[in-house]
Amino acid sequence: MSKTDAFAEAGKTAVLQNIHGTMEFLQKFPPFNQMDSAHLAYLVEHCQLRFYGQGESIIKPDDGPVEHFYIVKQGRVHGERPHSARRGSETTFEITSGECFPLAALIGDRATRTEHLAAEDTFCLLLSKPAFIKLFALSNPLRDFALRGVSSLLDQVNQRVQLNAVETLGAQYSLDTPLGELAMRQPISCTPNTALREAVKLMHEQHVGSIVIVDPAHKPLGIFTLRDLRRVVAAGNSLDQPIDSLMTPEPFHLPPDASAFDAAIAMTERHIAHVCLVERGRLSGVVSERDLFSLQRIDLVHLARTIRHAGKVETLAALRSDIRQLVDRMLAHGASSTQITHLITLLNDHTVCRVIELTLEDLGDPGVPFTWLCFGSEGRREQTLHTDQDNGILFEAKDATETADMRRRLLPVAVEINQRLAQCDFTLCKGNIMAGNPELCLSRQEWTRRFTSFIHEATPENLLASSIYFDLRVVWGDSQGCEQVRQTLFKQIAGNSLFQRMMAENALRQRPPVGRFRDFVVARTGAEKHTLDLKVQGLTPFVDGARLLALAHGVETCNTLERLRELIDKGVIEALDGAAYEEAYHFIQQTRMQQHQLQARQQLPYSNRLDPDRLNHLDRRILRESFRQAQRLQSSLALRYQL
Amino acid sequence: MNALSWLTGRTPQLTEQQRQRCEHLPTAAALDDTALNQQRLVVIDLETSGLDMRRDQVLSIGAVVIEQGAIDLGQQFECTLQRHDHQVSASVLIHGLAPSAIAAGIAPAEALLGFMEFLGDSPLLAFHAGFDQRMLGRALKQTLGYRLRHPFFDAAELAPLLCPQANIQQGGLDDWTDYFGLQVQQRHHASADALVTAELALILFSRARQQQFDSLLALEQGLAGWRRRQQAHSL
Repeated sequence: MSKTDAFAEAGKTAVLQNIHGTMEFLQKFPPFNQMDSAHLAYLVEHCQLRFYGQGESIIKPDDGPVEHFYIVKQGRVHGERPHSARRGSETTFEITSGECFPLAALIGDRATRTEHLAAEDTFCLLLSKPAFIKLFALSNPLRDFALRGVSSLLDQVNQRVQLNAVETLGAQYSLDTPLGELAMRQPISCTPNTALREAVKLMHEQHVGSIVIVDPAHKPLGIFTLRDLRRVVAAGNSLDQPIDSLMTPEPFHLPPDASAFDAAIAMTERHIAHVCLVERGRLSGVVSERDLFSLQRIDLVHLARTIRHAGKVETLAALRSDIRQLVDRMLAHGASSTQITHLITLLNDHTVCRVIELTLEDLGDPGVPFTWLCFGSEGRREQTLHTDQDNGILFEAKDATETADMRRRLLPVAVEINQRLAQCDFTLCKGNIMAGNPELCLSRQEWTRRFTSFIHEATPENLLASSIYFDLRVVWGDSQGCEQVRQTLFKQIAGNSLFQRMMAENALRQRPPVGRFRDFVVARTGAEKHTLDLKVQGLTPFVDGARLLALAHGVETCNTLERLRELIDKGVIEALDGAAYEEAYHFIQQTRMQQHQLQARQQLPYSNRLDPDRLNHLDRRILRESFRQAQRLQSSLALRYQL
Repeated sequence: MNALSWLTGRTPQLTEQQRQRCEHLPTAAALDDTALNQQRLVVIDLETSGLDMRRDQVLSIGAVVIEQGAIDLGQQFECTLQRHDHQVSASVLIHGLAPSAIAAGIAPAEALLGFMEFLGDSPLLAFHAGFDQRMLGRALKQTLGYRLRHPFFDAAELAPLLCPQANIQQGGLDDWTDYFGLQVQQRHHASADALVTAELALILFSRARQQQFDSLLALEQGLAGWRRRQQAHSL
């Protein structure tokens, strides 16, 4: 044994049993699991272990600058702040075994702003401030953790999600790559009076598919692509005319710091193959569909185009598995749940539109212009792969006779569209919320009347219906009629506080599955034993809450996250609260989608039920925190509507 | 030969330096009304070669300190005693001290002196303290010729007095750690047992304060009354 080995060996045996035991305990939790063991041993050796009986105050604002770094060894600690609107206080957070506090106050050298109380009999390890400062200087993981707080936990999760994905796919790029990094070469450009022949020669020499026409200040005026060249040649135009008469003016552009995802979405939506990058009004690059493909190997744009031009419903049905693969790859490349739901909605919209067009071609035009509406999660643009049909038809009619006649002509088409969508994996709605149902194939006046009755007769059925129908959106056809219906709806809800209150009660129906005494509240018996429902118990409180506030304050968008953002802009909810809700909603949705992907891969049926014990420690902790945000949203509604 | 060793009838084998250290050990402080969260207290656990208080030997000592109302993790005593005449018995299955570990231990006189210096004049607390008091007392007398007079508190006695609602009468350490949900890192390791006993003591002191026993003296008086009542019940 060499001298250094002997030294290391002696160091090991010299660690006392209890120090070692406490280190082992801490090593189950971040950031301690990443700390150097010598640093961790220093930490433990400088700790006191203290007991706090249930209800005892651990630290409070009056105590002055915080003197210790606290780690919960056993028990639970609640943060209590004076209630903003009521007397008394509210629990703002909960800290359990392995977690530490109060980082912000300790680093800020100030008193805590939140009283920390033992929610049950609790033991805490206390590290004195001088020892903490010494470790803070020595240990990078501890410093990172302390400075970034919980957001560093979220980062860890994201890093791991991407790491896992990279492992399974062997790829190493991300959809979040800034476009500026993708557009490596100088963009090819020319002046507006350049002859087309010259411009094409330039494109040919440089091996590019597009040329941007710029003014002397390098501001893009138009774009000309190889596709445009085919059109010009087919039309027999002269190659000697100046290019500005043939270019596509006002080309679509993004800033260089926009992501690859933004570009992919823009191309998919607009059916374009090139996106100009413009920085402070100057052209700085061009990103083509091919650049994205070679980067991502994600055939997003191509898939969207194939759907839009599919010749048969069978083709559309076959493309569904491509969508599933695409989602798989996007998750793998670290796309967020918001990006993915957005994308699924986009591709679903394309599919629905194509099914409608194909049906009209096959059955013949019914001769009545109509609008295809969707409701519920599709209306909110929050679809996952696991999706039901919730749709309806709106049309314009002069009177009752015309209404009946138009409905008679539209219904067979609607029924056929529903059936064909079912072929494409859009499960038929069990509640028959489908355009083929005569009650959902209505004129504009009928829709308004129907919605009015929901508001005026607030029966449980009507409340449930309003939670589905009031998230409505046009997928196909003219959108003017739908907007009129929506405006009337806003007016009626804004002036009806009774209905708002009923909706608030409804929004409190699903309680987030966290209890006072346990981590999670899970089903106790049956096949669903030990599980909770991510959608109903986790997402629904946010969706219902955001809908209520949006409808009451005339926010037109239906998407939950967009609603929250607009509610912040309107000052209805506080920016910090809104951001916390958004983060929480996002995390629950992400967890749910990962579970769906896993189920698809294992060929299990889709389910929203999750056994929280199957999550790793970090995910479980963040999930619990996310549910607590749902609780906070609910208690703010209860306060607002005095329930 | 000093007066103490004359009393034992045996001459302990001590070096001159050890004898001097032994003479300088502080005497135990009398119990007073110092508030519990100001009181220094040493919590110990012994592992022994068996349960016979006349024949079996102390094999290891684990001790932690409660000071300022908290367990100071930086202040701990942990030591295995060297026993040449140690016979492996069935109790090895409980304490898990291998003969090699015992052979590699510290000479008993050094170990016990080290412990007594660590203890200072503080009172002691243990679970089933009577056993630890007798075993430690005998070891000190035989090895150092020292008579242990420090007061002992028994967590096994304090717990049912302060937490009658637990309804545990003749409970062992495991019963009480289960009741309070305490985690033991390694049961029947002297240090780990001492630590969990100290955690139990912190809970008991918190309950004691709620019941107006805010010093060891008050607790001692409370215990005396409780013992009388228990006796009256059993009559």
